[in-house]
Amino acid sequence: MLGMIIPLVVDGLTNAALIFFVAVGLTLVFSVLRVLNVAHGSFYSIGAYIAASLCLWVVSAGLNPWLTFVALLASAVILAAALGPLVEATLIQWTFGKPESVQILATFGLFLILEDLQRIVFGVTSIAEDTPMLLLGVTSIGDMVYLNYQLLLILAAIVVVVALRMMLVKSRIGKLLSAVVFDREMALSVGINTKRLFLFAFTLGVFLAALGGALAAPTSGAAPGLGAETIVLAFAVAAIGGLGQIEGAALAAVIVGLARVFAIYFAPQLEAVAPYIVMLVVLLIRPYGLFGSDQARRI
Amino acid sequence: MKMTWMTALLVSLGAVMSPLQAQEKPASVGVGVFTFTSGPAAAYGMPGKNAADLMIDQINKDGGIAGVPIKATFVDEGQGTEGVIAEYRRLASNAESQVMIAALSSSNCLALKPAVEQLKVPTVAWNCDAHQLLADGKSNYYFRPSGNTVSEFAAYALYLLQQKPDVKRVAMVNPDYAMGHDAAQIFSAALKAIRPDIEIVADLFPKLGTANFQTEISRLQSARPDVVFSALWGADLTNFVRQASPRGLFSRSQVILALGETVLQQKSLPEGVIVGVLGDGWWMSPDALAKPETKRFVDAYKARFGEYPVFPSMKMASAFSYMTEAYKKAMSDNGGKWPTRDELAKAMSSGKFETLTGTSTIREDNEGVVDQVIGMTVNSSEYDFPVIGNMVRYSGEALTPPQGSDPMQWVKSINADLLASLPKPGSYK
Repeated sequence: MLGMIIPLVVDGLTNAALIFFVAVGLTLVFSVLRVLNVAHGSFYSIGAYIAASLCLWVVSAGLNPWLTFVALLASAVILAAALGPLVEATLIQWTFGKPESVQILATFGLFLILEDLQRIVFGVTSIAEDTPMLLLGVTSIGDMVYLNYQLLLILAAIVVVVALRMMLVKSRIGKLLSAVVFDREMALSVGINTKRLFLFAFTLGVFLAALGGALAAPTSGAAPGLGAETIVLAFAVAAIGGLGQIEGAALAAVIVGLARVFAIYFAPQLEAVAPYIVMLVVLLIRPYGLFGSDQARRI
Repeated sequence: MKMTWMTALLVSLGAVMSPLQAQEKPASVGVGVFTFTSGPAAAYGMPGKNAADLMIDQINKDGGIAGVPIKATFVDEGQGTEGVIAEYRRLASNAESQVMIAALSSSNCLALKPAVEQLKVPTVAWNCDAHQLLADGKSNYYFRPSGNTVSEFAAYALYLLQQKPDVKRVAMVNPDYAMGHDAAQIFSAALKAIRPDIEIVADLFPKLGTANFQTEISRLQSARPDVVFSALWGADLTNFVRQASPRGLFSRSQVILALGETVLQQKSLPEGVIVGVLGDGWWMSPDALAKPETKRFVDAYKARFGEYPVFPSMKMASAFSYMTEAYKKAMSDNGGKWPTRDELAKAMSSGKFETLTGTSTIREDNEGVVDQVIGMTVNSSEYDFPVIGNMVRYSGEALTPPQGSDPMQWVKSINADLLASLPKPGSYK
């Protein structure tokens, strides 16, 4: 058992890192805009497709292979810039003030459109380019050999958690976001430009989801159906952490990542359902998630 | 007047009855072809479709079947089992659809079986290998010329014991659905039948369509197996190989990739991996190279699709060869008339026919008995991807359970005598 602690922790955190990126974007959007975006998983998968495509282009053009890392980050920026403001200004703003069922239906419609668009643009087969994964080499920890790329994913997730918290606490825009989350009406009344903040928060959410997809692409590639699979898991993680809680999303991602890894090691037949068993148990004990609350809201 | 009335009645009855015994030649032979053309499984399904396109063009160019061209309707299994069944029923209800070639996925074949028997359309299971499909021996319209999982996965166990007789610790990672569980069960049962001391140190079943296998790879590493056996396929196999290779899995353990021939041309496999073709569909085998029609097919495939065929392509080609031969046999049996669906099914239900890489013998339970070709990856001076070397060709009869027997009981009855009687790795050249 002791010899298994390292692989359990490393694999758990690696799993958690990828889940975290998509879940934190979802929870951020819900916290600020109060919109549960069903299409969020599509941003993850489109990010993966763009990243894989750009990396393939870098390699085929004979460019410096380290530029593939730039391509990964650029994929997320491109997608966020292209789709974030467009979707927020059109569909998301239209849902403001409408019943939650309308929000969910509208964003589900967007999800279906984006899934079909992916098939049209990127085709129906999987694509992958593993140059970023191979460039970083491997590290031996005990008997285990890990890709350094897996360790990079853990580091990237930690950086994102810290950066988000610093932004919310230290930066002006972060404080404005927190004000809007706490009391939207009061924020409006003191002259805070909530429209601009919603646009920023939604675009940031898209960026985070796309970044998750882009970072996953070198190991997992991009394939049809990735968005659907991702959003289900993201919802579970966001629910466990408490919708609207960034650190909650991080902790929930770690819990879910560890649950999957424990299942693979000790009960493989439960691997597919492990995250949802965790969600069920947590919600039975704390219906609003680990850090959630039905009263005061903070991000 | 009575005679005239009776004559008219008899003539009318004859006119009504005659379509039941023979048909006018149709304008085309409607064939429903089921395969994956989207999603992760398309990595396996598209080679099948490519082969179907090529075979149809070649058969039609050669005059079709008794002068009748084939007209195919392709159905994407990526839409899910319910959609596949709905499409099957839709096609089957059209009299123009005379035969089906379905399907790729074992789950879809098992789900289609009731519809096949109910609608009475001759259906060729071109790729689904689940032994349960025809195990009850009661199928009249479902035929499987390419063999099933029992002989396929038992063959890997036997090859391993011949190649690595000192194996002790075995880990398995197989997709979490019918074929994956069958693969694990049959492989491990065959191993333990001869070597009960072998320990299964990990038995993993990642979901079909899993993209990230890092945790599974860690689990395999932690188990320190001598051998890793996997029946992953499609994009799952591609991702697994991409992720496992840099982590040293192939250098630390003897890896068996039951469907590994499908990724040879991706150039991601090192030398020494045990791979096979779930049957004898290796286009570079001695039997394949001896057939001019195989060379013609392979050259045409490469010219058209930019890559060499893989064994799903060869299985699909075999299905079309089988269908074409069955039509010829049916017409020979009924005096040259275009056969009904029932006559075609009768012709499909027995006989031995040639494929591009060997032969298949159809038993009374509609199972095809085919040889098993297995080998190890070796680098090639002629191709820029590894090929299969150190090959063995096991006879189908030796590795197919007797008709009517319990397949798993037969696997458990495999013994050292059978192993000793088989040809050795490297003998097939």
